Amino acid sequence: MTLMDSLMVSLIGLVVVFSVLILLSFLIKFQSVVLGYIMTDKNKLDAASAKGKDTGDFTAEGETVVTAEVPNIVDEGWSTGELRLLGVDEKTAAMIMAIVSHESQIPLSELQFKMIKAIN
Amino acid sequence: MMLIACILIYMAIVKKYEPLLLLPIAFGVLLANLPMANLMAAPPDDHSQVGGLLYYLYQGVKLGIYPSLIFLGVGAMTDFGPLIARPSSLFLGAAAQLGIYIAFVVAICLGFNPQEGAAIAIIGGADGPTAIFLSARLAPELLPAIAIAAYSYMALIPMIQPPIMRLLTTKKEREIEMVQLREVSKLERIVFPIVVTIVVCMLLPSVSPLIGMLMLGNLFRESGVVERLNDTVQHALINIVTIFLGTTVGATAVAEVFLSPATIKIIVLGLMAFVFSTIGGLLLGKLMCFLSGGKVNPLIGSAGVSAVPMAARVSQSEGQKANPANFLLMHAMGPNVAGVIGSAVAAGFLLAMFGS
Repeated sequence: MTLMDSLMVSLIGLVVVFSVLILLSFLIKFQSVVLGYIMTDKNKLDAASAKGKDTGDFTAEGETVVTAEVPNIVDEGWSTGELRLLGVDEKTAAMIMAIVSHESQIPLSELQFKMIKAIN
Repeated sequence: MMLIACILIYMAIVKKYEPLLLLPIAFGVLLANLPMANLMAAPPDDHSQVGGLLYYLYQGVKLGIYPSLIFLGVGAMTDFGPLIARPSSLFLGAAAQLGIYIAFVVAICLGFNPQEGAAIAIIGGADGPTAIFLSARLAPELLPAIAIAAYSYMALIPMIQPPIMRLLTTKKEREIEMVQLREVSKLERIVFPIVVTIVVCMLLPSVSPLIGMLMLGNLFRESGVVERLNDTVQHALINIVTIFLGTTVGATAVAEVFLSPATIKIIVLGLMAFVFSTIGGLLLGKLMCFLSGGKVNPLIGSAGVSAVPMAARVSQSEGQKANPANFLLMHAMGPNVAGVIGSAVAAGFLLAMFGS
């Protein structure tokens, strides 16, 4: 194999690697958008269903489903994923989550935080 | 060769250079070079006698079984979340394969044939199982030197990469703090290995054993319904295969093959491949930093060389040296796992080009 041939192989090889990985990155983005859309729809349906139950719906067994009352908080902070941080910076929130995990002896991966709010 | 084996054992135990693999490799070298032991002896053609123990175990390397099983375990241990959260990490994983192709050109110039050049060049992917997978198919006679070089350089990443990282980036760039990655849903994590398997294996069928097993392992992890299998591939299976793989790769290092000028060339080419792969990742990292208006820390580019999670830790460590409030680990894990896919794709391309 000549130097020119090896250069050509290398160039084509790099193009192949970039092409495959760029294609994958677009597919991941596409997948995230589609799945995000599906999940949002599902969450909306779940929320609507919970709201219906909250207003006096009965389950098949005849028990009233009681859901916790969520205070009407104005979202003045910013959000990261599904966790809302209100007046709390990211590092403090991470520290709080680590402390809760440590104190409760529950691994962080099994805890789900909905909101961390600073109380004056 | 017995002296070399003892030096490698010393490096594994005392210096702790990738001991999980270097120790079995070193002991395999020792076993294969024991006079009269014939542990790597093939059985006679008429099968009147059995072959050596390591000869039979070596079939797993020769047939590409062990590297694929290692990938099964790696997939089960890998969190692709950071990659899914930031798909542009894949570009860095691609750029960090630059060293493979530069080493290939130089290997050809040094007189290696294309199969040997490709097998040596894959060291730049910084992925031991991939290097073994490709070498066993393209240049089995060079396998021990390539495996030892690949794993040695992977162990030396904390020494090889930082000077290059500091040379190619400014302090201001290294100080950049990146915004937190978004949360990735379970559904996305489950769909990801299926999509990657379909796309990559259809485009490059030659790499199906590696990518297929990698993604199967990851699906075990993310599906959450096969905890026993997930646990087995992450621990018991990968440990057993590592013992067989290491010992038999070491056992191929017989004096007449290993003690040759080609080994020195392989070691030099391997280092060069590593350096250029790091440079490739860093340069694209700098470009992404520029294009994003300073939102991407270019240090995460060097993690694209695979070597999970060592290379990501080096990015984290260098970032924190420049700015103690910098936490780059999760950001670097994206390019790091992208590098695993990138090096497998590069190996698939080389196998498609030069495989028989």
